[in-house]
Amino acid sequence: MKIPRISPQTLRVLERFAERPTAWCYGYELSRETGLKSGTLYPILMRLAKFSLLETKWVTTEDGVPPRHTYRLTPKGIELVRSSLVAAPAAAKGRRPAFSGGRA
Amino acid sequence: MMPLAYPRRVAALLLRFAIWIAPHDTLDWGHGMLSELNHVHGSWAALIWAMGGAGVLAKHAVLAVVLPGSNRRTASSAGELFAKEGPMRKTTLAAIVACTVASLLFFLAPVFRQAFHVSLAQWHDVLHIRRTLDYQESDPELEDLARKAEQNHDAEGLAFAAIRYCDESESARLADEAVHLDPKLSWIYAVIAVQHSSLSEIDRWVPELEKWDPQNALPHFIVAEKIDIDQVVREKIPHRVEEQPPAWQNALAAAFGSPRLDNYHDRLKELDRRVLLRYGLNDPYRVIGEERWYGLPTYAAWDSSRYAESILKSGELLEVQRNRIGAVEKYWAVARFGQMMGSAGGFMMRRVVRDAYKQLGRLSEKERHNEEAAFYASVAAQIDNAQQEENISIQNRFRGGDVSRWNAFIARASGLMMLFSGGLLLTCALTVIARGPSLRLSPLRPGRLNLGLGLGGAIGSLLSSAMLYVSYRPYAEILQRFIRTGDTSRIPELSEFLAYAQIPLGAEQFKHLGDFVFYFWVGVTVLCILALLLVVLRHFQHRERANATI
Repeated sequence: MKIPRISPQTLRVLERFAERPTAWCYGYELSRETGLKSGTLYPILMRLAKFSLLETKWVTTEDGVPPRHTYRLTPKGIELVRSSLVAAPAAAKGRRPAFSGGRA
Repeated sequence: MMPLAYPRRVAALLLRFAIWIAPHDTLDWGHGMLSELNHVHGSWAALIWAMGGAGVLAKHAVLAVVLPGSNRRTASSAGELFAKEGPMRKTTLAAIVACTVASLLFFLAPVFRQAFHVSLAQWHDVLHIRRTLDYQESDPELEDLARKAEQNHDAEGLAFAAIRYCDESESARLADEAVHLDPKLSWIYAVIAVQHSSLSEIDRWVPELEKWDPQNALPHFIVAEKIDIDQVVREKIPHRVEEQPPAWQNALAAAFGSPRLDNYHDRLKELDRRVLLRYGLNDPYRVIGEERWYGLPTYAAWDSSRYAESILKSGELLEVQRNRIGAVEKYWAVARFGQMMGSAGGFMMRRVVRDAYKQLGRLSEKERHNEEAAFYASVAAQIDNAQQEENISIQNRFRGGDVSRWNAFIARASGLMMLFSGGLLLTCALTVIARGPSLRLSPLRPGRLNLGLGLGGAIGSLLSSAMLYVSYRPYAEILQRFIRTGDTSRIPELSEFLAYAQIPLGAEQFKHLGDFVFYFWVGVTVLCILALLLVVLRHFQHRERANATI
């Protein structure tokens, strides 16, 4: 598999996905946990999806609440994460939350 | 204090707008950001979230225009959940049409057409177009007026054209024809002679002027001016008054002996007004064109002050010879002439006149006529004060009134915005037509970004039209009042506004206008190169990018 060049922010997102590879995550949850603002996070997610490393799904949580967009790594994405994290294990250091408080 | 819910509402509106202009392949992402907004804690945090998301979508919208291939239509899994496109498109189209029609309706008002014409004046220097104010090789409007005046035997119309013609011989011919039709217009010879000081007709005109208005000093200054110009051309300028030819000396002596000085400014304004009204001319630059005209020959002030100085010296000489009466007569001649010249004499003449009063005061003091001496001293002090006041007034006029400057800025900015908005609208329309399946209107389906930009252009056009109209309206009233009633009290205000309106927007920062024009064209060239690169980029857009970054 051809491994694209990966930015530190992307690595941070991948690392977060790697913690729970099969779980679906919300955008705001990812933002809080990686410390990335929406303007940085979404281009990363969009590029990951473009390279078929990320899959997306709409989920309806409760009645009256708009559906939410959720994200999960594809098997190809999981493979990339493993190879990337081996190459740069310390890339995701020094994170800080984007917003104080909040919930996933 | 702003209610806490407002930032969240603004955030939702911002994201909705961004989704509206976003390309199809980013819709899911946009709606994803919007749905997450409900879960962001804190109103300001929600606004920051929306701003980031809207920025991402806006970037994709711009990229979709630059690289249309990237705007791939994808099957949206949630598309149906957010389908509100149809009514919004119709509303937007209706808004674009309404704003465009409203801004075009402004052109029906003559005041607005005049304002638009004024707002374009800032481009004259940039595009190297001659202004109405400047002398031009050809002026079709003026030529047409002259032709009509000749056909109708309208002496005033001919005089109006003659005064403004660049071509000296044509100007002289029209002036002769005007005076032939109406001898009361002989004064226009003086006006034209001041403008074209080397005309051969001046030799014939001056005796006529002296006969027509024998008390006026102006014809004598015209004679002296012709001699001065001739000396300048031959590069033989005498440094001392005594070295001047007798004809020059006689002319200045006659000017000194004249009881009054009239540059016919008032007659000229009245004539302008009547002709403008008769021929329906309302170009403000043409109307105030002569306002900047000084009205006296170029060398009149210099000649006068030099001649007055020589008289002052001859008075001092008579004083030395103990001819007190002769000396007083000389000083009085200078003082009286200075009063006749008034502000037209300039600072040089004023200084000589002040010295004349000082000499008179000194003589009175010597003869112990203390009251007279005090009077002369106070007059000399008044002249100094008047000079200072005039300097301040000139400086203020040079700086310009804040209101006129601000209004001229609004007019220039509005004019620029109108052009930009119009260009944007036109580009959007052409893009829609070019991408449409046919030239018929019904199948044309403008994209969201096109609609967004079109709406921006239409609103911008309407707003800028309204701003231009409002900022120019008071000046149109000044102009109309002058044309209808001859009220010139606020003409300097109009003149100031028009002068500022001619400066290109942004050129104030440059010391020389030429530098601004240079950098403007450099900027245009750079933009053209960028546009060319963009075209090349679009050509190669389908190529796969190697070493992509995720």
